[in-house]
Amino acid sequence: MLIVVDAHSGVPVYRQIMDQIRFHIASSLMKPGDELPSTRALSAELGINPMTISKAYSLLEREAVIERRPGRPLVVRAQDADRVRERRLDRLRESLAATVTMVRQLGIDPAEAVQLYADLLTAPEKAATPTDESAPENIPPRPDGVGPSF
Amino acid sequence: MKIVEFENVHRAYHKGVDVLHGVSFSIEPGQVVGLLGRNGAGKTTLIRIAMGMLEAQRGSARLFGLDPREHPVEVKRRVGYVAEDQILPPFLRVREVIDLHRRLFPTWDNDLARELHARFRLPAEERITRLSKGQARQVALLCAIAHRPELLILDEPAGGLDPAARREFLETSIRLLNESGSTILFSSHYMSDVERVAGRVALIHEGRLLLDQEADALREEHCVALIPHGAGVSRAALQRLAASRGVRERSDALHAVFALSPAEAQALLERELAVRGARCRAVDLEEMFIELVGGQA
Repeated sequence: MLIVVDAHSGVPVYRQIMDQIRFHIASSLMKPGDELPSTRALSAELGINPMTISKAYSLLEREAVIERRPGRPLVVRAQDADRVRERRLDRLRESLAATVTMVRQLGIDPAEAVQLYADLLTAPEKAATPTDESAPENIPPRPDGVGPSF
Repeated sequence: MKIVEFENVHRAYHKGVDVLHGVSFSIEPGQVVGLLGRNGAGKTTLIRIAMGMLEAQRGSARLFGLDPREHPVEVKRRVGYVAEDQILPPFLRVREVIDLHRRLFPTWDNDLARELHARFRLPAEERITRLSKGQARQVALLCAIAHRPELLILDEPAGGLDPAARREFLETSIRLLNESGSTILFSSHYMSDVERVAGRVALIHEGRLLLDQEADALREEHCVALIPHGAGVSRAALQRLAASRGVRERSDALHAVFALSPAEAQALLERELAVRGARCRAVDLEEMFIELVGGQA
């Protein structure tokens, strides 16, 4: 499982791990029934405290994103289709919040902004495999604040 | 039983100049605590008091419930200690230093020692005085870890090490966490290492404990607001806000730490001080450190 940790981010490590796992699931890179690496293995791999991983896993378990089976490793839970759609939109909403702020700060006409977004969405896709698009570096970072960004 | 307990520790070097002024905190088994602070804040003094190398002039330090000065052998057997300024016997060879430690510690794990020796690529026959700083530190680390101590005390262990050696050090410490459930108290200036490994941070400033909090909570419950000078807000006005934890004056803006989320801080500034255009953001430990204890411009 490709997880990348940024020790200089405004986002705590446990949250980065949760975000990336959720994103992998939302983009179907991880599927229901896929096993997650053990806390120990992932902590050794990423060079972080195993308690941080435990924390991320516990919270994902509470969100019913992953589940524990007796005597077996944690696995990705089968996701309810509606919730999957909801979560994808939540993620997109978060990512767009910063863009909305920018539109306001730059004084751009909202209709123009919407048109631009529509154009970008319908533009021909660059050739890329699904794996590339799910690479951790390409996951849009959670915005770390509010206010002018430049 | 608490693994480490500092109670109201006072220590002065010159009369009237307290290095530590009533520091109290404790560490439970399995916790990893990052001890932060500026140079001269008192971190090394506190660690030396824990190790029994110095005495608290008032207050007490206990390891495993024991006074390290009354039970030096028992305490030291259960602790692994690495310090930046540690002195290993200069004319002994690497293998002799390791042998020495093997005899001292009943819980020595020779397989682990051999593995670390190979991993660190230490030259067994070389004398300590001929090693590079990084290699000497790795010998110290091997000796501190191979007996699988219940408690690891590290005082700037990665100081002066190259990034790869630093990462190796970190990974070895994590391994000890995973395999033996050890407790770790470490001081470091490398905030990215602290981010990776510390569950809790204790910030010492001018001899006092300024902050003792879970690292995640510290970061999630605080933000830094940048208020341009043009907004016409004074440092004093910001300091008066109940949620303010510190304000620094820089050349083009005031930097304020708030015990709020970025959105809450921005709303507060607009409401109380009619400030628009403040940039409020969540920051990493390094930024937090600088904003809390860094100097003015």
